[in-house]
Amino acid sequence: MPRYAMVIDLQRCVGCSACSISCRSENNVPDGIYWSNKITETSGTFPNVRYHYIPTLCNHCENAPCVRGCPTGAMHKLENGITMHNPKKCIGCKYCEFNCPYGVIYFNWTYPHKSWKNNEKVLEGTASPKEEVAKVGGKTIPYYNPEREDTLSGIRPKGVVEKCTFCDHLVKRGKLPRCVDACPADARVFGDIDDPNSKVRQLLGKFRPFRLREQIGTDPHVFYIRDFNPANYQPSKGGI
Amino acid sequence: MNQSKASNGLFFTWLGLLGIAILIGLFAAFKILTEGHHLFNANDVLIWSLPLGAYIYLALTSSGLTLLAAIPLVFGIKRYEPIAKRLIFLAIAALLGGFISIGLELGNVFHMVYIIFSPNLSSPIWWMGAIYSLELIVLIFKFQRIHAGDWTSTTSKTLGKISFLCALIAPLMIGSVFGLTESRVTYFGPVMSIYCLFMAILSGSALCLFYNLVHAQVTGNGISDEKDSLFRELTRIFTGALSAVIILTLIKFFIEGSTVIPEVLNYHKYAQAFGSVAGMNTEIILGLFLPFILISMPGLRYKQSTRIFTSALVLLGTLAMHMEILLAGQSRPVGPKAEQFPDVISYFPSIWEWIVFTLSIAVMLLLFSLGERFLKLESKPA
Repeated sequence: MPRYAMVIDLQRCVGCSACSISCRSENNVPDGIYWSNKITETSGTFPNVRYHYIPTLCNHCENAPCVRGCPTGAMHKLENGITMHNPKKCIGCKYCEFNCPYGVIYFNWTYPHKSWKNNEKVLEGTASPKEEVAKVGGKTIPYYNPEREDTLSGIRPKGVVEKCTFCDHLVKRGKLPRCVDACPADARVFGDIDDPNSKVRQLLGKFRPFRLREQIGTDPHVFYIRDFNPANYQPSKGGI
Repeated sequence: MNQSKASNGLFFTWLGLLGIAILIGLFAAFKILTEGHHLFNANDVLIWSLPLGAYIYLALTSSGLTLLAAIPLVFGIKRYEPIAKRLIFLAIAALLGGFISIGLELGNVFHMVYIIFSPNLSSPIWWMGAIYSLELIVLIFKFQRIHAGDWTSTTSKTLGKISFLCALIAPLMIGSVFGLTESRVTYFGPVMSIYCLFMAILSGSALCLFYNLVHAQVTGNGISDEKDSLFRELTRIFTGALSAVIILTLIKFFIEGSTVIPEVLNYHKYAQAFGSVAGMNTEIILGLFLPFILISMPGLRYKQSTRIFTSALVLLGTLAMHMEILLAGQSRPVGPKAEQFPDVISYFPSIWEWIVFTLSIAVMLLLFSLGERFLKLESKPA
């Protein structure tokens, strides 16, 4: 059984957010919820300033605090290492969200995709969001992806949490997670960390990876390699 | 006769007020269950708010009351028997109030069935829920035995012992819900469990003292010499619990004040939602120090007014302290949530959260009132 992991090459990543957009479409993610997200940081002061961009998603930790803390086993590990959630078992206690060191679990505070139920026309002569949904025969949203239903509720109900599943429904069919497939810079590599010949293992051997908040012992399965920095400076023997 | 009529009138007015609060609460419960928790001023950063704080407060108070009830029921100290039945009943009512609060905090209370069929034994929330549920059931059976006049049978004694063990472990479990979150340094560790146990004893003894003294005042029955001596002992237990919480709070305060761990510095910066005086939280000053000073003064210690006032201050103070700890640890976004949320989350409960809180308290008070009227809570073994 493979153990899936992802390597994100920060030198290749251009911060275009194609990963986040494709993730929303693939997984029918509602407004306000981010399965795929980013951490941005600006350091220094002008003109010596730098912008950092780290794409984020569920780290599918080996020692996942969300799995350990879930009282009903709704949050659980699959044999292939994916941290999966079962909304049918979720009591909405939000402990996983409270417990997650990475801020990647979200709660459905209300009915998802509520805005698409609105029957008011945005402009005279245009269709209302509700009419748009009806026109394409979509389920709740016009861009509804029924494939998501293979392993999880297509749209998760209010009162339960949700998060990235490494697109387990695609992985099951031998495909790549949507964010990996959609990345125009090929910055994401997905594969079996137990297979010494996998690309993931090759990259982890070739570069010195880091993981988010490694020191707390969760053993995240999302690794970051390299960094992009076009800045240059004049060589000197010191600053005095 | 007229006095009795007036007292009945007051009683039914009181019940009417509680009834209105409960009806409003039931409407709010319907609204929350059908519309979702966006009605709360919580979000994906500040995840747990007033209803959870109220649950922690009421559940811990219930545990404290059960621990006090164990003095006569488990350890056999007979002079405490006159308040034992009342303590068990108050513990049941407080715990039911707490369950209402957490029930309305849960996103899907109907999935609770999986807690039984798919338990996760590594989850502190599971243990907390299981032990408090067991405690409630055992307390109800224990009360039923006592009410039937059975104080000493093996069954009755066993129920007392189990409820004592539950009340001892459950606060530790509430603490471990926070203490096991490695991601939140300010909660992580054993301190939260010890703190919750001490807070349970403190708020339980405060409610015990407050309720018994106010009850004597309201009913006009006065306090017999036997009861007076008992209440003096309870005052000493209350003062002891107050001292223990003050010591623990000061240790926590000085450690947090000395460290330079960024998470603790951030936490400390925002851990004064109710304001501060000379760097110390207002609720600690008014809810711990002031009552301790008043209750330590020999001239004031055993005055009824002092005891009622100090125990009321502690009851309000402990609630505020639980809220403070709960909110301060969640005031800053974790990881990428900083992209969608401000650096620090400000919070004031929504009207719906206040109604849930009021509902929990109203149910507890309604039970107190009905129990006092119909269940002979002052009876003791023959």
